Amino acid sequence: MNRTRTGLTASLATVGLLALTACTPGGAAADGTVRLQMVESLTNPARTEVVRELLDEFEAQNPGVTVDLVSPPTDQADQKLQQMLQSGRGVDVLEVRDSTVGAFSNNGWLYDLSDDVTGWAGWEDLTDNAQAVTEADGSRYFVPYGFYGLSLFYRTDLVEEAGFDGPPKSWEDLLEQATAIQDPAQNTYGYAFRGGQNGFANVVAAIEAYTIDDLDVEDAYRLEDGSTIFAAPEAQDAVDTYFSLFEQASPPSAVSWGYPEMVEGFTNGSTAFLLQDPEVIATVAQSTTIDESQWSTAPLLTGPTGRAAQPLATAGWGVAEASENKEAAVDLVEFLSGAEPATRFAQENSLVPIIDGAGEDPFYKEGPWSSYVAMTEDPETYVNVVQPRGVSWWTQWEQKADQDLQAVLLGSMTTTELLAEWDTFWTEKYAAEQ
Amino acid sequence: MTATAIRPARRQEQRPPVRRTRFGRRHALTILAFLSPAIVFVCWFTYYPMLQGVHMAFRDWNLWDLTSTPWVGWANFATILNDPVFPVVARNTVVWVVGSIVPQLVIGFLVALGLWRRFRFRGVYQALVFYPWAVSGFLVGMLFRWMFNAEFGVANDLLLKAGVIEAPLPWLADPALAMTAVIIANVWYGVTFFAIMILAALQSVPDEVLEAAAIDGAGTVRRLFSIVIPYISTTLALTVLLRAIWTFNSPEIIYAMTAGGPAGRTHIITTWMIEYTQQGSYGLASAIGLSVMVVLLVFCAFYLMAMRRVNQR
Repeated sequence: MNRTRTGLTASLATVGLLALTACTPGGAAADGTVRLQMVESLTNPARTEVVRELLDEFEAQNPGVTVDLVSPPTDQADQKLQQMLQSGRGVDVLEVRDSTVGAFSNNGWLYDLSDDVTGWAGWEDLTDNAQAVTEADGSRYFVPYGFYGLSLFYRTDLVEEAGFDGPPKSWEDLLEQATAIQDPAQNTYGYAFRGGQNGFANVVAAIEAYTIDDLDVEDAYRLEDGSTIFAAPEAQDAVDTYFSLFEQASPPSAVSWGYPEMVEGFTNGSTAFLLQDPEVIATVAQSTTIDESQWSTAPLLTGPTGRAAQPLATAGWGVAEASENKEAAVDLVEFLSGAEPATRFAQENSLVPIIDGAGEDPFYKEGPWSSYVAMTEDPETYVNVVQPRGVSWWTQWEQKADQDLQAVLLGSMTTTELLAEWDTFWTEKYAAEQ
Repeated sequence: MTATAIRPARRQEQRPPVRRTRFGRRHALTILAFLSPAIVFVCWFTYYPMLQGVHMAFRDWNLWDLTSTPWVGWANFATILNDPVFPVVARNTVVWVVGSIVPQLVIGFLVALGLWRRFRFRGVYQALVFYPWAVSGFLVGMLFRWMFNAEFGVANDLLLKAGVIEAPLPWLADPALAMTAVIIANVWYGVTFFAIMILAALQSVPDEVLEAAAIDGAGTVRRLFSIVIPYISTTLALTVLLRAIWTFNSPEIIYAMTAGGPAGRTHIITTWMIEYTQQGSYGLASAIGLSVMVVLLVFCAFYLMAMRRVNQR
């Protein structure tokens, strides 16, 4: 009988332990100490290390507060975060992106920071852009930690050898230079064409550059008259030029090239031009094939009127509505958005900074970062625009657009059909929304 | 004559019914106590999510607004069946499963035959052959994605140096080649499982039967087809079934190599389901998941009927 009791006790203990594993740390303890749980979603080891160091600083400044950092692998992070938010447990501070803020706030998972942020000592230090993106429909659900913007990475030596006196300024210039450099026999290609995942983003960037004069900068998939950018006559010129880059200046296998292949193509020296976010600067700088004298960056490519649309993507930190430690959680977001931590985080992760005047730092004035400063200093030419990344159909759009892009590259769809498809998609979605 | 007269009278034995009942209850409690963690674990992490998935398949369960998930009946299933992508995905799934299983069976069988007889360092060879099974399918997909890269990949490099091709092949960019490439990766991954299972079955074939057949004049090929294969046919059928189910259910290699591209030409039913999940359309994704489960259950039922027939022979 004793053995039975022992077995039962052991089993119940195990079941209890299983149940306990579903519980999470958090909440203020009886002794007044607070344990926060913070979840990031764009995880990589180097970035996690920086975040951890910043959290250590926060803990040192706030005795009694401990922050546990949860860093799920990037490809599973969103789902894990959704499950945690849905269960209402296990998350106090979280990474919120412009593509996830809509769904998260719609479900009531995010705390509205409106009453807190404007009273922060460092609020006025934020750039106008940073302050603007925090607000949506009268609420503020996150504070950005930086911006992702496009610039053109180019091989200075190959451009010079091809007889050009500088990098391309417009999409037409890019087509000309990339075509001149293309030499498949030498395994040298003009442009790292993105045909795989997220390839549609560069097509849209080209269309926006061609329609910039009539573009609705607050919703950069529409023109000021309310029609979509895909219906504009200039869009046809844009896509024709853009897809010529594939036909004349890219490897045929670029149909399936995503981020890793594009960056590898540039860093191993086989492609001359790459359109990418600044986060690639650190990766290219580590290349053992090309040294720093062989590459640089140039501002985003302009359309026929000499202007370009800079689609700034962003992400930041927010507080979970279900958090039992909102005060401490808000304090943590305030700390991370402060001048020193935010600038450090932006520099270490190659982000456009959120702090006003941070661009004056020599870090941003020199080398590959200078093109970003050049764009920031000329907002008339390089117009910051907001893409509708927070709409409920954004992921559906990404998947559809990528498949249509590949259909054009494989010859089963024309560029005219592509624009008609995309125009119909967005027109119907906008109509359904209203 | 009555039945009572034929049947001998049953001996009335003294049995200890009370003691047996007490022992049985205690015994049952002990078993239940030891099983309870496993039961709780399985119910919690397998059956509850499964039932939740069934529940979601009949609702408009969208990430964008989880505060309202109205009942929609069969609408999610109708949406999937009417989607123009569905026929393409269904055809791709059949190509993916058949194209993966047949080479895996043939190569796995040959590998098992090679490892059957004793030779020096057989253990080392076995470990090397079985190693891929320990690798994550997603990682295998990532590795093959780079191996099949047209410009920097080792596949084209080897083929060029061997003189098989004159120009690099765009493996993952060409629709026909892309399906071939993902199947090659899956074959490499799955051969191991076939080899393990078939080798185990081969080792159960009695030596005396093979020796008797050899004495009777049966050659190697005759012994293989008349003795070995019939002897291990149950294992072969079981292995094919298991791998077919896993291959049907496995999106990771395709997802890592092509994400269903180019232009959806390598999309199978489970990568399609992931696509809906990423859109936040959990209702539609659950409807696909439930449909897959039903198809596989029907498949299993046919298999079990066939197995019963084999065992009755």
